[in-house]
Amino acid sequence: MSNNQNIKSAFESMMFVFGEPLDAKIAADAVGIEKKEAYDLFKELEEEYEEEKRGIRIREVNGSFQFVSYEENFDYIKAICTPAKERKLSQAALEVLAIVAYKQPVTKSEIDSIRGIKSDRVLEGLISKDLILDKGRSTAVGRPTLYGTTDTFLSYFDLKDLKELPQLDDIEDAIRDFSDFDMEAFADTGQTSFDLPR
Amino acid sequence: MAYKINLNIFEGPFDLLVYLIEQAEMSIYDIQISVITRQYLDHIKTLEESDVAVGADFMVLAATLIDIKSKMLLPRIAIDGTTEEDPRTDLVQKILQYTRFKKLAAQLEAQRELAALKCVKPQEDLQPYTGEPDVYLKMDMEHFIDAFQAFIYKKKKEDELRQIQGHIEREKITLESKIGIIKSLLIGAKNRLRSFRELLAPNSTRYDKVVTFIALLDLAKRGAVKVEQKKNFGGIDVSLLDTEKFVITEEA
Repeated sequence: MSNNQNIKSAFESMMFVFGEPLDAKIAADAVGIEKKEAYDLFKELEEEYEEEKRGIRIREVNGSFQFVSYEENFDYIKAICTPAKERKLSQAALEVLAIVAYKQPVTKSEIDSIRGIKSDRVLEGLISKDLILDKGRSTAVGRPTLYGTTDTFLSYFDLKDLKELPQLDDIEDAIRDFSDFDMEAFADTGQTSFDLPR
Repeated sequence: MAYKINLNIFEGPFDLLVYLIEQAEMSIYDIQISVITRQYLDHIKTLEESDVAVGADFMVLAATLIDIKSKMLLPRIAIDGTTEEDPRTDLVQKILQYTRFKKLAAQLEAQRELAALKCVKPQEDLQPYTGEPDVYLKMDMEHFIDAFQAFIYKKKKEDELRQIQGHIEREKITLESKIGIIKSLLIGAKNRLRSFRELLAPNSTRYDKVVTFIALLDLAKRGAVKVEQKKNFGGIDVSLLDTEKFVITEEA
């Protein structure tokens, strides 16, 4: 492969046929260049598609790349076919998934303790959907299983990597508020006005 | 106070507790434990007919609330003048942690809705591009060994079956011809007793033994031979009764 244009052209063809996210390493080996080089070329390609406002875009999922349709064209896609709407995750599943995503690797008992309720069945459901997986064992007593998220999770939420997980500013504030909270003053008021049952 | 609330909407005890605190417009840092505890207990009463396991999880928090409520009644200044920790601190921390993840869960759901706007072509069958050989080459050693052993096992079973089948074909003998053989053997013996064993072909198979036995039973029924067994599992003696009755009739 001589120039970058040819390589990028090859990457496009490979992504087109492969369908699933294509690992930059595999693509690099195919054209005989370094992984880093291939990654940068994928990123260039991604930008080009964006600049040209193409209806097909390139998305990165954990160092792999795939074609996706442009999100603002969704209504037109809906007009010709009804994309099978993936069933929404239940509130419980979302809670467990959020805990796993933000606290990973995490054990079942940590999840249970945050939610105040057993999460076994929800965890099983998420594993069968390939959104989370067994990431080994904790060194704690009983060597409980540690859970983490999968690449399927990243695609499902359209995230490049875990750093892209949505953050909560107001929540961070709330935690800071809490740590700043003056426990002394709190205790004093507790002393003067007892919390008496009526 | 009368609430009509479907508890199925609560994902767990914290979910219910957070809901109650929000409804009462209390500060999370200054929860009126007695009020909340009473409301909480009212709610879990309606859980009684519900799932026991869920009920148990809700009861744990109920017990915690009651415990905190009782501690709130005690003065919190120790004899040496230092202030003890507010009994609600742990609970507040847990509630904050729970609400944090509840909000993150909502964020994730919003993110998912956005993600759903991007459509992906599922991977198609790449067989036409890869050709068959790759399917075999992709096999790792473990699978290869398993496949090889399965092949060997199947081959062995096939050989065994073939052997058995071969025997049956060679030794196949009809009931009628067996009866003929028994007749000639008995006539040759000139009314002398014959044992069942002598009626069998040399190196007889199970099949031959069964056919001989059935032939003998048939002959005994027709009164052509007399069959005697002196004791259980003992030898069977056979003697000729009526040569005429050896003729196989239509019904036999």
